[in-house]
Amino acid sequence: MIDFHTHPVLIREFVEKYPNYERSARQVFNIGNNFQPLETFFLQMDVAGIEKAVLLPIDCKRARKDAVSSNEQVAELCARSERFIGFASVDPLKKGAARELENAIKKLGLRGLKLDPALQDFRPDAQKVYPVYEAAEALKVPLLIHTGMSWAPETPLERGLPLHLEQPIRDFPKLKFVLAHFGWPWVWEATALALKYPNVYLDTSCLYYDGPKEFYQFVFSKQIPTTVIERSLRNKVVFGSNYPRVEIKNMVHALKNLQLTEGCLHKILKENAERLLGIVNSEL
Amino acid sequence: MIIKLERIKVQTRKSEEAIDITSKVDEVVQKSGVKNGVVNVMTSHTSSGLLVTEGIPCLEEDILTHFSRLFPEDEDYHHRRYLDYDGRLGFNADAHLKSILGGISCMFPIENGKVVRGSRQTIYFMEYDGPLERTYMVQVLGE
Repeated sequence: MIDFHTHPVLIREFVEKYPNYERSARQVFNIGNNFQPLETFFLQMDVAGIEKAVLLPIDCKRARKDAVSSNEQVAELCARSERFIGFASVDPLKKGAARELENAIKKLGLRGLKLDPALQDFRPDAQKVYPVYEAAEALKVPLLIHTGMSWAPETPLERGLPLHLEQPIRDFPKLKFVLAHFGWPWVWEATALALKYPNVYLDTSCLYYDGPKEFYQFVFSKQIPTTVIERSLRNKVVFGSNYPRVEIKNMVHALKNLQLTEGCLHKILKENAERLLGIVNSEL
Repeated sequence: MIIKLERIKVQTRKSEEAIDITSKVDEVVQKSGVKNGVVNVMTSHTSSGLLVTEGIPCLEEDILTHFSRLFPEDEDYHHRRYLDYDGRLGFNADAHLKSILGGISCMFPIENGKVVRGSRQTIYFMEYDGPLERTYMVQVLGE
């Protein structure tokens, strides 16, 4: 099983090594949990039955003074364990961002692009961003982009509107867009984009109130019917936990608690992510 | 009067487990040089615990099983909400309640440099919300 959405923001080993790491976790990302040794990350994966996790940095230096993990830190963690799959993040409004992405993919060995319009402070449909989309498309790496509500401070909700992505989705049909957090609360908009466009995927890393089981039960059976996932989006949804904002095991349990068939669950927890990441080479 | 405080880290490896820390406590007492006094042991966390019982696996299992029966994970807890000071959701009320029920500390007398315990008494660090690296405190007071 693969967790497509984790943030390496509480790694104890990085606190002393990188001077701004703690400030970034506390003030930019806004998380108050204790820093933990890297071993805890693996144990959290183990108890959830997760084999591999996608690590996501966010290059928000321009907008927030510090990055939430850097590409180099992510690459360092990936070098320590094959269980990690690292994504890169670049500031799309920065000159040379496309080249920076190319270097991160080709030289650091990262395998996807992460963007967060709210935390990085840009409009995802702005023409200035297009060179980064072009680069990701040319490099054949997926883009995981924040949609929906963000818990990070000073992040306007409006930046998370899934429909802001419609034009880029249309303009870059070969770039795979993974809309994070299922676009919550705009779940129908995100769902519509995934239904309409072949290059749109959704990750399940949404939890905004109640507990994981209650929240998933509401979103995936009341906000949208479970059958939309089971019948229409079974090849386009990937499991994401948003660890460490939530423990991976709780999100896995919540997903398995839905009325989805074993076959559909297997796709969400493994197959779809493997295809997106190029671990298996098959197009649908 | 000697007062010594030691913070000891323990890496828990499961969602819930009972870890025998008796020998660690004995070690701290021996190192302290205190011949007569008391030793206090306390967890630093509110979703883990510290308790004393007979050190056998069946009881370890019973404690965890029946605490879970009393405080099921899926109960209707008010704690299931966004905690702005933590930047995350709180959905581990069951772990907090188990910690309260089982207790968070224990105390033993020290006599002639040794912890005075009943022959069946074992000190356990209780994980209710792991796996995590945890800290417990051992404070020795005496002379």
